[in-house]
Amino acid sequence: MTTLKLPHPGSLAALAILGLVAGGFIALASFDGGAPPLPSIGPYLGRVLAFTVGQAALSTLLSLALGIGLALALARRSFPGRGVVLAALSTTMVMPTIVAVFAVFAVYGRSGWFAELLAFLGWKGSFSIFGYPGILIAHVFLNAPFVARITLDGLNQIPTEHWRLAAAFGFTPGQIFRHLDWPVLRAELPGIAGLIFLMCFKSFAIVLALGGGPSRSTLEVAIFEALKVDLDFGRVAWLALIQLAICLSLTTLMHWAFTRPPVGHTIRSLVRRPDAKNRRLMLVDAVVLAAGALFLAPLALSVLTGLRNIPDVVDADLLRAFGTSMTIAMAAAFIACVLAVALASAARRRRLVLRSPRMAALYDVLPDALLAMPPFALTAGLFLLIQRFGDPSAAGFILLPLINGLAAVPFTYRYVAPRLLTAEERYGRVAASLGLAGWSKFTIMDWPVLKRPLAAGFALAMALSFGDFGIIALFGGTELVTLPYLLYERLGAYRLDEASAVGLVIVLVAFLLSHLSGRWSDARD
Amino acid sequence: MLAIENCRLTWPDFVADYSLTVEAGSLCAVIGPSGGGKTTLLHMIAGFETPQSGRLTFNGQNLLPLEPAKRPVAIVFQDHNLFPHLTVTQNVGLGLRPSLRLTDQEKTLIESTLDAVGLKGFDTRRPGEMSGGQRQRVALARALVSGRPLILLDEPFSSLDPGLRRDMILLVDALRRRRAVTILMTIHTPEDAADVADRMAFIADGRVAASGPPAAILHGSLAPRIAAAVSNT
Repeated sequence: MTTLKLPHPGSLAALAILGLVAGGFIALASFDGGAPPLPSIGPYLGRVLAFTVGQAALSTLLSLALGIGLALALARRSFPGRGVVLAALSTTMVMPTIVAVFAVFAVYGRSGWFAELLAFLGWKGSFSIFGYPGILIAHVFLNAPFVARITLDGLNQIPTEHWRLAAAFGFTPGQIFRHLDWPVLRAELPGIAGLIFLMCFKSFAIVLALGGGPSRSTLEVAIFEALKVDLDFGRVAWLALIQLAICLSLTTLMHWAFTRPPVGHTIRSLVRRPDAKNRRLMLVDAVVLAAGALFLAPLALSVLTGLRNIPDVVDADLLRAFGTSMTIAMAAAFIACVLAVALASAARRRRLVLRSPRMAALYDVLPDALLAMPPFALTAGLFLLIQRFGDPSAAGFILLPLINGLAAVPFTYRYVAPRLLTAEERYGRVAASLGLAGWSKFTIMDWPVLKRPLAAGFALAMALSFGDFGIIALFGGTELVTLPYLLYERLGAYRLDEASAVGLVIVLVAFLLSHLSGRWSDARD
Repeated sequence: MLAIENCRLTWPDFVADYSLTVEAGSLCAVIGPSGGGKTTLLHMIAGFETPQSGRLTFNGQNLLPLEPAKRPVAIVFQDHNLFPHLTVTQNVGLGLRPSLRLTDQEKTLIESTLDAVGLKGFDTRRPGEMSGGQRQRVALARALVSGRPLILLDEPFSSLDPGLRRDMILLVDALRRRRAVTILMTIHTPEDAADVADRMAFIADGRVAASGPPAAILHGSLAPRIAAAVSNT
């Protein structure tokens, strides 16, 4: 008698993801007689594409320049408060984009701090931050600290022996850069640059709020407008397909370029860099650190002004939005963790047990490919499916956690996959000889080493989802309000005081979650 | 002659106080338990650590005020001696000129030194394509090429297997005789160097507990402590 053999949960997870994406696209493209031919939207598409690529490229270049400058300056210098600066740099990784939008308004808006400063100095002109300036400021604010942090972690991996050799050979600062810093930068930069370009390419909230008109929209915003304003599903299908193609090529490239997993925390190398004594570099570093502080600190601090307005905004609406955001974030994190564990254990089985590294690599690529997913188009497609088979009024409650969960899989996967591999390498043979398999193998062999990284991944996924202002822009309304949506509404009404308080609440929750995540991932088992 | 007189270094949890003399042109093997201060001694001579008091001279020259790069000292570490993005020739060339703008004469010197350490024809290889023993030979070649008369080797061969380790120590011995350099070498297993070292120094708790001919050290009153130090780590 043959027994029916269940497929591996990882295969089911992969099939489910691919099925959802394919189903969404088919629903979009076949709606209302199918998509119009591409040339009919050609000129419009060209404009959108040019702006999307242009702002992403500029944002990436500026973020890299400031980030690398800061990393080198921080690597060379030690000063009181350096630890605080490093901790602050890591926080923008989970800074919600909609809060960054608020910060740009508060500092560079029409009545922001910068305008006040200019007025105080006697300047009577006016300026607008809409378009490139606002978008670039927000993107660099979010990404330059990330670049600085990752690069600094890389620089701190330089073996102490190399610093001693540099001192023993009497390297000049130029030679130190060439032989010690540059090899690190060259290894790290393609991956970081690719990731930032991708994030800015897909940028939604920042471009929607700071773009200042339909002529300045990214593909993501164009998809949103086609959905919300024109209900043109055919155009959505085309835009999404193009976005998916570009982002998939990028993520595939990056997958091969970015091999070193990001290191969580930094151990300052005990050796003092020999170039720290160079006068010219002291000046350069002072200028870079001052410029970085002048640019980043006001934006970061503007969020804190919300503190005094919190009593004014705490009402039933806010509490309900808080509860909704929390629920969605937990559901999304749960989805992200289950998918990551299923995919990672399938990848591990392929790699170590079945010895087929190519199939394993496919499982490894899938989470990164999710970075390329266009969330609005997928949401719209799935919405059409739900509408066909069920109650569309519930769609938001299903789709928000699902899409946010899928978007968090690339991050949870990074926490989970390495630990699962290590567990198999260490105990796989013992487990096999004891006959452990399936659920018992998971609970006895994997769970003990997995629970901390999984908790860390869960908290990070929650942080990302909690602050996300993405597809809630489609579903938000009287029925469904999250905190980021509330913030967007207040910003739209120019009620900056209330916005500051809501923004602070979002940031505090997101930071608390990411702090927990960091502690759990640092701890040794 | 290398002369170390009461060089004292203090940390919150460790105090070192070294006194030792090494004849010019000789090979001195430094042994002792790990954490006892062997590496710190070498780092102090190279200029990575500064003693609060004491005297440190080589052939009469006071080393203490000199930057690491200005000292007549070359150092080889246990690991990470080579820059992975540079070829063998470039890695050795750093010992001559950090700018790597090498003259033809210098290139010939590098080639002949690589030959001397048994790496003929390896010039364009990169560290990633070589074995651990070959990489340490490159580091050794770099120390020789720099023309510095005092070479410090910090557990240079501890990560190699015993047969290879012995070959490398014999190579070091042959090279120092041919080139008349002074060598101070920390080692983990004293037997490896018992017959080639002129002197042996036993360091524990930040002090040179004893120094003298290898036979006297290994079979003297310290023998039980040495055996314990070797078996413990």
